[in-house]
Amino acid sequence: MVTTPVQAPPRIEPTPAVPATDRGRRIREAVFVVGLYAVSIAVALGISALIVYLTHGSPSTVFTALWDGSFASWGSFGYTLDAAAPLLIVAVGTIVSTRAGLFNIGQEGQLTIGAMAAALVALKIDGPGPLMLVLALVAGALGGALWAGISALLRYWRGVEVVISSLLLVFVAFQLLSYALSTTALLHETGAEGASLTESNPLPTGARLPRFGTYPNANVSSAVILALLLAAIIGIAMSRTTWGFRIKMLGLNPVAAKRVGVRAAVLGSMALLVSGASAGLAGGVVLTSQAYRITPTVSNNIGWNGLLVALVARNNAWVAIGVALLFGGLHAGGGYLASTGVPSDLVDIVEALVVLAAVFPPALLELRRRRARPQAVPAGEAG
Amino acid sequence: MTAPALEARGLTKRFGPVVACDAVDLSVHAGEIHGILGQNGAGKSTLMNLFLGLISPDAGDILVKGERVHVTDPFRAAELGLAMVHQHFSLIGPLTVWENLTLGDHGRIDEKRISRKIREVAERYSLDVDPRARVDSLTTGQRQRVEIVKCLLRDPDVFILDEPTSVLTAAESVELFAVLRRVVRDEHRAVLLISHKLDEVLHATDRVTIMRGGRVVAERPTVDTTAAELAREMIGREVSLRSMSAAAVGYLEAAADEPVAVAPEPPVGPMVLSIRDAHAVAPDGRKLLDGVSLQVRAGEILGLAGVEGNGQKALSDLLSSVLELTGGLVEVEGQRVHAGRPGAMAAAGIGVIPEDRHVSGCVVDMSVAENLVMNDLHLVSHNGMLQRRRIRDRAAEMVREFDITTASLDAPYRSLSGGNQQRVVLARELSRSPLVLVAAQPTRGLDVGAIEYMTNRLRAAANAGVAVLLISTELEEILELSDRVAVIHRGRIVGEMARRDVDLDRLGLMMGGQAA
Repeated sequence: MVTTPVQAPPRIEPTPAVPATDRGRRIREAVFVVGLYAVSIAVALGISALIVYLTHGSPSTVFTALWDGSFASWGSFGYTLDAAAPLLIVAVGTIVSTRAGLFNIGQEGQLTIGAMAAALVALKIDGPGPLMLVLALVAGALGGALWAGISALLRYWRGVEVVISSLLLVFVAFQLLSYALSTTALLHETGAEGASLTESNPLPTGARLPRFGTYPNANVSSAVILALLLAAIIGIAMSRTTWGFRIKMLGLNPVAAKRVGVRAAVLGSMALLVSGASAGLAGGVVLTSQAYRITPTVSNNIGWNGLLVALVARNNAWVAIGVALLFGGLHAGGGYLASTGVPSDLVDIVEALVVLAAVFPPALLELRRRRARPQAVPAGEAG
Repeated sequence: MTAPALEARGLTKRFGPVVACDAVDLSVHAGEIHGILGQNGAGKSTLMNLFLGLISPDAGDILVKGERVHVTDPFRAAELGLAMVHQHFSLIGPLTVWENLTLGDHGRIDEKRISRKIREVAERYSLDVDPRARVDSLTTGQRQRVEIVKCLLRDPDVFILDEPTSVLTAAESVELFAVLRRVVRDEHRAVLLISHKLDEVLHATDRVTIMRGGRVVAERPTVDTTAAELAREMIGREVSLRSMSAAAVGYLEAAADEPVAVAPEPPVGPMVLSIRDAHAVAPDGRKLLDGVSLQVRAGEILGLAGVEGNGQKALSDLLSSVLELTGGLVEVEGQRVHAGRPGAMAAAGIGVIPEDRHVSGCVVDMSVAENLVMNDLHLVSHNGMLQRRRIRDRAAEMVREFDITTASLDAPYRSLSGGNQQRVVLARELSRSPLVLVAAQPTRGLDVGAIEYMTNRLRAAANAGVAVLLISTELEEILELSDRVAVIHRGRIVGEMARRDVDLDRLGLMMGGQAA
């Protein structure tokens, strides 16, 4: 295009950044972020208290129960860790695809397929316990990767947006699960009395992840170690390897990335496969460490919540550890709260409000960042 | 003779120290197509923006039918009967044509009525417009027709078109001018046509005003002028050179008239970059490159002149591996390079300083250090692990050598000034010892000091044996730096000459699309 709406004066250079004001701005920015989190969590708790009060409950009892059920004792902290582990596994995988500029939101489906694949291996193949466990987890990861791979294929072969295909595939995964659970040859429970239920047989004990400790001490699944290990690997891969560097380039500026030799289809697909494999692995972990059998609700929103963990952690694997812990605590506390007789709907509302409070600040910051940078015009056109 | 439909008297507009329009006098009469000819930056667009009320003048008057008016905003301009045919951004893609044309109306939406009006206007001017088509599904030429109908529906007295054919095919351009002719002859309206294309101005206009450097330099009836004369007026004779090395080359006038005295012998190194018969098309089917052939030798600077939008961007994209060819090939040192394969051009030894450094040159959200090393990760990593020390060392060395002013190596690239951003790109591309360096509009948006730095670096690169392709719409820059000059027009090279053989008249003709 030849014309500009208003001809700007040529050759005016913006003043270069000065270090001193830069630090001042960074401190102000940090204060602002912390304040934002404090205010939004306070608002969420306030609204929660109001709702509890309006439904003739006692806000203080509710908040005490939330705390008691999550962080107050080693016993409840064990529940928190158990809930946090699969969330963290999903989140760190999500970080890889989001960093590559691909918005995979189908973790719930990838997790479901992963759990199914793990269950099929564990239930249909006979073998020594530890081997079966490893095989089941690998099958879970492969299943999740396959599911995300469909999105990758659609994206780079047909140009279908990942955000759409991955979301829709969640519902396909649910349908597949319900088909498998109602088909005896697949996962439907065999045996005398339970044959009418839509759930699978329980996993053989050998194919279960070992647990440490007994109540009232922390009783924790070894999945926690797996999750931390994975978070560390991805944290290091993103910040310290050429692979992570190229993924970030691809996500931040695909044109510049192409110039220096990044093949979007290859690297982008790889990022999607990693995120799908993580979600699938989380499915395997849920199955082998907590559920021990597949039910229609095996995914239990862990995929969605893991996605939220990644969002709140602003795609930083190290931060995601803390955020997963917070979300895990909320889940454990919510479970405890429900057991004290508070209606489960109310528990869900309180949980949702706190999650919203955690999601709101990063979303607002992202918006602010985008608005501050209107000159970032997409590539193409002109010429 | 009646008062002109639109008149400017002493119209002046300054942007800071730059005078974009300098006491411009212009009168456009009903019943004529009036062309305004000028290079990029001659002040044409500023003048239009003044007429349309997008900016207000610092001095001078605008008269409509002899009466002095204040055009405060585009709505006022529309009331006064001034209508602009926009090229972009004024149609809403997902809506249909009739929906677009009813936007801004008041009262009940009546599809039948508006569609009938559109068909009437379309028929009267033989414009093929389907009111029920979705704008998204139209070609660029069809969209322009919709824009024209949109203007005609308002029944304007003066019709303003800014570079209307830059997005059109040749056939569509012919059609457009037929419509304009009808608007002028049958309905006695006035048309103001802004253009930098000589043939277009010669064929389509009745009078032509030539602008250069914000001033009107000539006005005459089109029949009394020739392409050569127009080209000379458009480019001017007293082109001033900007930087220090101007002194060495001498003033352009002298250089052009007595070439032997000052122009250096073109170097005769081996052929390094060779582009042969390159063809490429945009996703919307427009031709981007239409058979470009270029050769650049080691140690020479080939200046590619041309009016903006004639394929320069595509050429730079091609050499950045982001454009695929539909025909033709690119060779570096006789080896064919796969066009469009990620990183292929860089791997073959082509460094590019792209025109749009934000879009394709750098990752603005990454740090200065990361941007400096991103082309050569293998040099700063071991077994796939990045070595932070080596990244810092390498980046620090480049910052020192290229004198980049930055708060720290970890500061985000976006925090740098324009000149320093450009230096980061230059440092990165030069540090990999390229065989070919492509510099697209390398000094655009830079201040005088940064321009001098950049031109010196390019000169030094050529002296060191790099084949330099300088793509620029600024003729001064081309003439100052190049050993050889080629001209691109509508996606093909229309002429090539050694710097010492440069004849400004001929150059002007070629830039305006005249075979010479």
